[in-house]
Amino acid sequence: MLTRIAGGRVVDPTAGRDAIGDVWIEDGRIVAPSDRAPDRTIDAAGCIVMAGGVEVHSHIAGGNVVLARLLLPELGISEPDAPNPHGSGRDVGLLYARMGYTTAVEPAMPPVNALATQLELAEIPLLDRGGLCVMGNDDQLLQLLRDRESADAVRDLVALNVATSRALGVKVINAGGADAFKDGAVRFSLDDEVPAYGLTSRKILDGLLDAVEALKVPHPLHVHCSNLGLPGADDSLIETLEAAEGRRIHFAHAQFYAYAAVDKDNPLTGGFMSAAPRIAEALARHPNATLDIGQVVFGQTATISLDILRQFSGRKAATPRKWIVNAGDAEGGGIVPFRYRDRGPTSSLQFAIGLEMMLLSPDPERTILTTDHPNGGPFTAYPRILHLLMDKEARDREVAAHPKVAAERSGLAAIEREYTVSEVAQLTRSGPAKLLGLADRGHLRPGARADIAVYRDQPDRTAMFARAHWVLKDGAVIVEDGEVVSWTRGRTLSLAVEADAGMARRTDSYLQGRFGAGLSTFTVPDAAFPDREVFEAVACRT
Amino acid sequence: MTAWIDGQAVERDEAVAAAAALLAGAHSPVIAGLCAEAAAVQAAFDLARAIGASLDPASGAALYADLGALAAGGAMATTPAEARGRADLVLALGAAPWTSGLLPDLAVDGPVRGRAAGRPRTLLALGAPGDGALQHVAYPAGESGLPADIGLLRGLVAGRIAGPHPLADLATRLRDALYGVIVYDPAETGALGAEMLNGLVKDLNETTRCFALPLGDSHQGRAVAQVAAWSTGQGPRVGFGRGFPEHDPWRFDAARQVEAGEVDAALWLAPLPAALPSWTRTVPTVALLGAPKGDEAQVVIGVGVPGEAFGAALWHPRRAAIAWHEATAPQSEAHPAAAILADLQARLSSPAKHPAKNPERSASC
Repeated sequence: MLTRIAGGRVVDPTAGRDAIGDVWIEDGRIVAPSDRAPDRTIDAAGCIVMAGGVEVHSHIAGGNVVLARLLLPELGISEPDAPNPHGSGRDVGLLYARMGYTTAVEPAMPPVNALATQLELAEIPLLDRGGLCVMGNDDQLLQLLRDRESADAVRDLVALNVATSRALGVKVINAGGADAFKDGAVRFSLDDEVPAYGLTSRKILDGLLDAVEALKVPHPLHVHCSNLGLPGADDSLIETLEAAEGRRIHFAHAQFYAYAAVDKDNPLTGGFMSAAPRIAEALARHPNATLDIGQVVFGQTATISLDILRQFSGRKAATPRKWIVNAGDAEGGGIVPFRYRDRGPTSSLQFAIGLEMMLLSPDPERTILTTDHPNGGPFTAYPRILHLLMDKEARDREVAAHPKVAAERSGLAAIEREYTVSEVAQLTRSGPAKLLGLADRGHLRPGARADIAVYRDQPDRTAMFARAHWVLKDGAVIVEDGEVVSWTRGRTLSLAVEADAGMARRTDSYLQGRFGAGLSTFTVPDAAFPDREVFEAVACRT
Repeated sequence: MTAWIDGQAVERDEAVAAAAALLAGAHSPVIAGLCAEAAAVQAAFDLARAIGASLDPASGAALYADLGALAAGGAMATTPAEARGRADLVLALGAAPWTSGLLPDLAVDGPVRGRAAGRPRTLLALGAPGDGALQHVAYPAGESGLPADIGLLRGLVAGRIAGPHPLADLATRLRDALYGVIVYDPAETGALGAEMLNGLVKDLNETTRCFALPLGDSHQGRAVAQVAAWSTGQGPRVGFGRGFPEHDPWRFDAARQVEAGEVDAALWLAPLPAALPSWTRTVPTVALLGAPKGDEAQVVIGVGVPGEAFGAALWHPRRAAIAWHEATAPQSEAHPAAAILADLQARLSSPAKHPAKNPERSASC
């Protein structure tokens, strides 16, 4: 069927396109304008037409997301006609789709829990999904590195884990930190040693960066640094960036590291101020690096992280006062409920720093909008955040309502920049799609998957982005006027990477010894999803 | 024979049609048991949403002893493999750990990973006599029961109980361990005992490392809890009677509902072994069973045993995770329960089951 989305303001920064025009669709793909009469015309007059949004870092599935729901039943509660971003996978899919997002990635899939995570991802409707395989605290990898095995062996182990868990990429979370925590540590930095292995965090990071490059994984190594949320954490991010030595690297929820210590001699007691300018400058100097923001918004949430050392350290700030820290087979996980106090000094400063980072961005395609859902707050805050980026006046009103410290310790108030619609598309579409290596989305050029969001162009950008007028997934309308009209199921994107048979045999033996269960129990076979085709292969870089 | 109506053998299609008819007229149906592979549990949640049923797993009581404690205060837990690899001290609470198969594993050798590697592993018992075949130190049980013992131990560890006490030495051992693990069965400790245990473990972590290790139930309860959480945002005892999931562990206890006369039809899902409740013969019930006799309910349909007749995602006790289980005795006509549940859903669903309006919960910023 040939479809024409007619007369909208078509915004595709990858094609330098921002003008009234048409978008043509056939067989689920965007095609060149046609001479044929369309079978269907969608009237987009008065609307903005963009590619579907792409989410790179949102905790929407996995054992710790499940635990957060069980720890905080009150947060995930369902109410009639009120989908909840902390609720079911069905609600998550609905709320993303309503905003015009059509792809979302869960960034923390431990290989030991891959099957459950993939089962859960498959139950998120409307979107294409993917998961990143977490490595960096697992005994088998640390043994390889400790024993100075070859880079090829590390590469083969990473490939095996990606293939077995059917992941889209690789993530490392405070490399070695969870292991150090199990041995009693409560602080851990890039050059600290994992006690039982005599390995520094830097060494683990280095091994994984090389492996991801050697395997030509499209998405760069996705890095959660040490010292998240602490004054002086900017040093951790910059040190890690330098440690990459030009290799591609993605920094997760960078806002939580953009905290310069006010008192350098006593960093943990003197409070923090924005390090957004320092990070923006570093990003400009390092074209190999990208980041997502982890914007803070206000209200009750649950922080979810496999960084159990950090979560344990933050336990006493739990609101309400209950929390989980599980020492799992590699990382495990920590759930610490938290309320970002509206107009609270610390929360307000965090809020300002996130906005400042995006507004100082040297390249919006490399500073992706996330809230690190639910860690900084729910992803449903995106429309309001975009509004503030696009509207200096609204931003000034917002900043004026917060404690003075937010303006005094950040540069937000002085920034005049207003994001254009095209920059919003870079921030939420083309940037994240490029970052994930998904060439078939994030743009509107012929050949792209017909994942398209059509918004009514209105001054109230919050309202505009909150409820898309139309959303198409693979060319089919799934949302009309903010309501789901077709409950499609999407696919789970997994990297087509081949595992080495020798490493598979070796790993099977290792797993049998450790778990009394071999590699087959760690697999995610198609048969686990009866009567459905769930996975779609994504090629490695050539 | 694989299908029966009122105890009489019938064709499977006829039984499925009868099952659909039985459920179609129900005002307050229950789907219980859920002792099944993840795909079938998922299909059961999907069916419940479609027909407005409530759900309750066979593991309900044991599972909620742990979920209740978790929601009250949280936890610090570990896995069986981490316990084997790292623990220099294992404390078994009550009787259940000694019959779980876990302790012989832990008694074999000492820790091999982390800072305790190379140390011996000490096995301790509290609240029940341990297995004489395994070397261990037993501490006397108090007369007030296991939760009270755990409370006393917590008080001793925190230094809140002065003077000599029979458990003082145990408290010292816990404090001195580098990686302690406390094994318990929530069904035995109850929610209060589990909550006290979680508090004890958290207190210990102020100065060392110690983790709880709950024993899973034998009815897939921990897998069901996960499917429930991603399907509804809540634990497994939920009802869809009003079109959206409502979580209420008391209200949606299937046994209570039956006793109160609140149930007019039921589906008992147990491709894996689970004790059949007596009500399947008194309430109009469809039973999907891995080992049927034919007289267990009004409509009985035999289904394949997951992990045996076909590969399946099931709870793996040694891994403490949902894991893939290859078929051990593959059958070409395995009849997975998930397919029957999907068939029932297709027969029973009306086209407009999805909500028409879903205003967004606001997030301020």
